[in-house]
Amino acid sequence: MAYVATRGGERAIDQSERLYRAELGRIDAARVAEIRHALPMLIDRVMGEASLYEPDLAALALAQAGGDLYEAVLLLRAWRTTQPRLTIAEPVLQEQLFTLRRISAAFKDIPGGQILGPSLDYAHRLLATGVLQGRPYVPAPVEPAATPAPARQPSLAAWQKAQGLVADPARADVAPDDIPDLTREPLLFPAARAHTLQSLARADTGGMLALGYSAMRGYGNAHPTVNELRLAEADVRVRHPRGTVFSAGRVKVSQAEVTSKGKSGLLELGFCATLGWNEVKVISGATLDLNAPGAAKGSPVEEEFFLYHTEPVEASGFCIHFKLPHYVTFQSSLDALRGAKAAPAPHELEKVPA
Amino acid sequence: MSLLTTIPVPDAFEARTNATFEALMWALSRPGTVQDLPAPGRTGIAEALLDRECRVFCDDPALADRIATFGAALVPLPLADHCFLTLDAGLDRLAQVAVGSALYPDTGATIVAEAGFGTGQRLRLTGPGIETFADLVLGGIAPGFWALRAALCHYPTGFDLFLICGAQVIGLPRSTTIEVL
Amino acid sequence: MTIATLTKPWEAMSYGFLDASAKRELRRKMLKAIAVPGCQMPYASREVPMARGWGTGGLQVTLTLLRPSSVVKVIDQGADDSVNAASIRSFLSKVSGARETWDTLEATIIQSRHRIPEERLRADQVLVLQVPNPEPLRPVEPNMSVARQMHADADYGRLWLILYEQIVRSGRVMQGAAYPSLVNGRHVMTPSPIPRWDVPKLHMAQHLTFLSAGREKRLYAVPPFTRVEPLVFSDVPFQVEDHAALTCHRSGLTGYFMNEIPQGGGGSQFELSDSNLGIKAIRQAEGAEARVGSTWYENGKMPQ
Repeated sequence: MAYVATRGGERAIDQSERLYRAELGRIDAARVAEIRHALPMLIDRVMGEASLYEPDLAALALAQAGGDLYEAVLLLRAWRTTQPRLTIAEPVLQEQLFTLRRISAAFKDIPGGQILGPSLDYAHRLLATGVLQGRPYVPAPVEPAATPAPARQPSLAAWQKAQGLVADPARADVAPDDIPDLTREPLLFPAARAHTLQSLARADTGGMLALGYSAMRGYGNAHPTVNELRLAEADVRVRHPRGTVFSAGRVKVSQAEVTSKGKSGLLELGFCATLGWNEVKVISGATLDLNAPGAAKGSPVEEEFFLYHTEPVEASGFCIHFKLPHYVTFQSSLDALRGAKAAPAPHELEKVPA
Repeated sequence: MSLLTTIPVPDAFEARTNATFEALMWALSRPGTVQDLPAPGRTGIAEALLDRECRVFCDDPALADRIATFGAALVPLPLADHCFLTLDAGLDRLAQVAVGSALYPDTGATIVAEAGFGTGQRLRLTGPGIETFADLVLGGIAPGFWALRAALCHYPTGFDLFLICGAQVIGLPRSTTIEVL
Repeated sequence: MTIATLTKPWEAMSYGFLDASAKRELRRKMLKAIAVPGCQMPYASREVPMARGWGTGGLQVTLTLLRPSSVVKVIDQGADDSVNAASIRSFLSKVSGARETWDTLEATIIQSRHRIPEERLRADQVLVLQVPNPEPLRPVEPNMSVARQMHADADYGRLWLILYEQIVRSGRVMQGAAYPSLVNGRHVMTPSPIPRWDVPKLHMAQHLTFLSAGREKRLYAVPPFTRVEPLVFSDVPFQVEDHAALTCHRSGLTGYFMNEIPQGGGGSQFELSDSNLGIKAIRQAEGAEARVGSTWYENGKMPQ
């Protein structure tokens, strides 16, 4: 007695999953460790989109998903759902970040200096094909600078504010524990600023790039200049029940501030930050944020539009759900279609039978 | 490879809050019917519904202390999403209870109050959850309450009411029209 | 006080998967959904171990309700053995210890995608409908904040207009499934993509229905004995699918919603969409024991 299009029910889904997992083979701690160490940028991207900073779990998720990013993010998000909230960390100010890379396109030099840090920006993108012929690629050793750059750097926007170049938006004084939390409350519009930034932080990198790029090409009003891009490590400072604030560890963070001249005659800023190092994401996100004020409904730079459509778990899930059977809705449409073919002309409307 | 291997068993907290919620759910779904709570009093309701995401007003200091241990913030009445009130007197402050907006009716508060079931004012209920009408006799609630409720709650804005008597609960959502007989 | 007092002993997974704070949020929103029937209540919608769009909204409501004594039925397109229904049902029982069933009469909770069973639901049963798109106004207004304002203003003129245009163009309302319906005379809701055949089952029903969209983070409810009225014009009555006279080629039953199975030589065969009703009818015909409950439709008609 099988009534459904995809037959076999439980046995079928069990075997289908086995087929997929057979391809991935045995997963052990060594594989997870190798993924973690070999693919730090991918780990960062997944942790950012999952809004869960745990490199080992991210590597495990990638191993289990065989590298399917949307599956890996969903695994981590679903695991996150099961975890209790122990405490809320103290907010981190820009100048407190342990900064490893900090550049500005707006000025030749900036207070605190341009720090190139780790980057492939000026590398020649050549495949090291020798590796496949048995000649391992060993990167040249880093030669430390004579004087290391200071680890803590001021915010460029602070200088611009002091110069009266940048509008200083009114700051909402919210106690750290009362900052709205997107994972505990729905996103509503107009969105709380915290919700906007949290949504951007966990948005899909590719989706954000697509919409951000559309704004950069001209579908937004503001052309971004990178005011400041930072890759850094942030202390997670939490309060012990006895009152002492201590660092529970460090997380990698990236943030971008982009700017453009606003209608007011002052510079306007767009901002995006995320867990992990992911430059494309934060520049795209900051560009969207910069373009959002006053954007027309339904434009790619309207906040509701880009926040809804860059949510990786929602977007990917809905996309693949179209594989599910839809034959009841199809049958219902078919009935209306057949009814219409047989229906009398509109002028005989009142005679349509019930 | 099933990753779900343990046989799940609810602990006492889970079992109690689950049963409390089910009583509240049916109470609100069938206004005027009496549902059984797993334990008497209002604490169980707070335990099943409230945590640090909630803002609570409570006019009973002992209960307020208990609610604070669930993480909810104790706030002035107009800011509260859950209000633990006595309704037998002091109705003037009822006008301060949040009724939400047409845009977000869910921001209308939930009021939890003690009442007496079976003696007192005779009420006739109509609305969702009730096939025709339901009659209900309630005590311990000031006589002017029902008229005030009607004046304050303009559907879909309004507040929702849980009345507790021992280990029993009656739910009166804002969608219920209440006539004093 | 120590950090340990702020938490509780580690366990691999909370009972029913969702942690206590997720359940409390759902409980609060489910109560508000009952209090304002048909009005979409926003909720945080935690991620669950299934992809968005695959029933995660229904899943969160069901997980909040489940207890070890629950008996749970899950259907997709009316069928219990559909692959996704099987996956959801097995997850629900594994994380809660609840018993699984295919029988509508046995279930305490029925989670469904796109159908309401043909057997009448009782006052003690809860129906949880999975909702892909909770917004009936989406065809006329894709922007969620504008649509919300339209609900606040009870501004449904543009919905009426598209129905009217369909009548003018095609001689009838062309809306297939997910027929927009006015709840308690105030909020228009989408009843989820159930066929029109199933919409009257929500009107003044005995049971409680939750409708939950996990991806879109909205949930709403139809309490028992609540008016659910499809949007219609007084001179163009609501029409369910023309299935009343079709006969299931497997069970021989007539007068229920059918799946159409195209046949090689042209033409179609039909089989019951409510697969377990078909199974029970066949068992009865074979002399085995199977109890069929009273159905909403009698001889293909819904009694008024």
